[in-house]
Amino acid sequence: MPRDLVSGVFWLAVALFAAAQGLALKLGSLNRPGPGFFPFWGGVVLGLLSIVLVVSSLRRGATGGSPLRPESAKPLVVVGALLGYLLLLETLGFVAVTFSFLLFLFRLERRGWAFSIVSAAAGAFVSYVLFQLWLKTQLPTGPLGF
Amino acid sequence: MEIFHGVLYGFQVALQPINLLYCFVGVFIGTLVGVLPGLGPAAAIALLLPSTFAASPVSAIIMLAGIYYGAMYGGSTTSILVNIPGEAASVVTCLDGHAMARQGRAGAALGIAAFGSFIAGTLSVVALTFLAPFLARVTLRFGPPEYFALMVLGLTLLTYFARESTVKALMMAAVGLLCGTVGQDTISGRFRFAFGIRTLEDGLGLVPVIMGLFGISEVLLNLEQRQQPKEMFAPPTKGLLPTREDWRASTMPILRGSVLGFFLGILPGAGAIIASFASYAVEKRASRHPERFGAGAIEGVAGPEAANNAAAGGAFIPLLTLGIPANAVMAILLGALMIHGLQPGPLLVKQAPDVFWGIITSMYIGNAMLLVLNLPLIPMWARLLRVPYTVMYPLILLFCLIGAYSVGNNIGDGIVMWVFGIVGYLLKKFDYEGAPLILAMVIGPMMEEALRQSLILSTGSFAIFVSRPISAGFLLVSGFLLLFPMLRRDIEMSRA
Repeated sequence: MPRDLVSGVFWLAVALFAAAQGLALKLGSLNRPGPGFFPFWGGVVLGLLSIVLVVSSLRRGATGGSPLRPESAKPLVVVGALLGYLLLLETLGFVAVTFSFLLFLFRLERRGWAFSIVSAAAGAFVSYVLFQLWLKTQLPTGPLGF
Repeated sequence: MEIFHGVLYGFQVALQPINLLYCFVGVFIGTLVGVLPGLGPAAAIALLLPSTFAASPVSAIIMLAGIYYGAMYGGSTTSILVNIPGEAASVVTCLDGHAMARQGRAGAALGIAAFGSFIAGTLSVVALTFLAPFLARVTLRFGPPEYFALMVLGLTLLTYFARESTVKALMMAAVGLLCGTVGQDTISGRFRFAFGIRTLEDGLGLVPVIMGLFGISEVLLNLEQRQQPKEMFAPPTKGLLPTREDWRASTMPILRGSVLGFFLGILPGAGAIIASFASYAVEKRASRHPERFGAGAIEGVAGPEAANNAAAGGAFIPLLTLGIPANAVMAILLGALMIHGLQPGPLLVKQAPDVFWGIITSMYIGNAMLLVLNLPLIPMWARLLRVPYTVMYPLILLFCLIGAYSVGNNIGDGIVMWVFGIVGYLLKKFDYEGAPLILAMVIGPMMEEALRQSLILSTGSFAIFVSRPISAGFLLVSGFLLLFPMLRRDIEMSRA
């Protein structure tokens, strides 16, 4: 399936959704445009452009390009690790989550255990000092107080 | 005279020890970001924005601006020594810069890149010094219709310079405009696209969106590519000063690159990347020996490196005189100014002369610092480049996570960054560009307000946009730019 067709259909759906939301928010009149005016017309423009893209990709047929399927599962794993970090940050605290996050990624890259543990600990410690103590960012604390 | 006073006042501000320190930190981090591939100035500035909340507005902006033009210096080092662009605007420098390194002339290439950057950077700040106050006076008379028309022109230009298809760039601009409407409507107070989620009710944060689109997604894409062993040249310790012969070959390219870069920098969407490519093309055409290009022609390093630095200066013009960002970096600086309670635009020079002139003059100082700093530090940067990516990227991700969290101390912004990281990754896969999205997202709310105010002014008639000469002119040019690519395609098709 041509990839422009896939993305075009996706954006068309987004456009329809935006336009529907705009309608629900009330367009207002031309001399007093309401909150839905801009989302509605933004959606209409996006929709028209998506149709142009879809039509032109159908006319051209499937064209090559770099493969969509990722060559490795790594991006997916990293995306999962990022989400895990965000979800656990406020319950476990900055230092513990950061250490685990770095340890996981270094191990993912097949670094040795010793290297991974030392580097992850150093990374967590340095970033804690840098952001919490020096830049006074309020990082979440865990059950142990850091 | 007014300008003379302004510059003098600006130096008084910029030379204060605290501002010198911020300037130094800015250009230092900027060079670092430029040297490291995979972390661009936009993501870096977004990352460091929260850390400037405690500083005064002038100091904060001086530092953030320093990161931007500092990155333009740093990018060339990686291009020349490793043949990987440290920063997108240094892609062309790889061609001749790395070829020179192969011939044992890495020193000359690094030297001319630094001097060319310095000359172009300084020239463009001089132009900025004279042009910005003048333009601010002109744009003071702009009303909502003129602003709306100008923003339409800005978005059109942005898509005109798009590397992929125009339709896709326009789509990204439309998506950006929609993203900009998320949150509370300023006129009616209604929530839009918020779905009862707290983070969305405040609107999509620029910092998490940029870090997602330009930071996280970049890492994800790099992870997929198989790591190739890099061929890296040892950094030269001497021979960094260009010879008289080098200067003779490079002077005109540097000057041409400066002018070209400055004007392309002003245009929304063109910026440093296009400027460096354009300069390379111009030099190749102007050369009597175009066949030398790609095989180590010093002009091919001097011109583009000058152009990308000059573009960094030019990009400040629309920000300081209109309050409209020309690229993603300027969009964050705009956000930074607003967070510090300043309204960028024609009134800035009157309302906050210390900020206006302080930023401009700090760039003279920053450029000088970069020249002095850079050449001696090259061995240090080179050592940094030996750190493998597998160690580097977990740290980049960590900094993005901390940066997104610390904007508002909530997880919601982190989730926004996460989502836009995935969005950015998919956009790249499907051949879309992120830049029009970001710019439209920033301009969107301003554009909507200008449109709605114009329609209220004219009691609902769109004629207001064409009956006022300035706005009519902007719209005419936008219309032409939109139609031109289609006409050109039709002509090419009929020929084929």
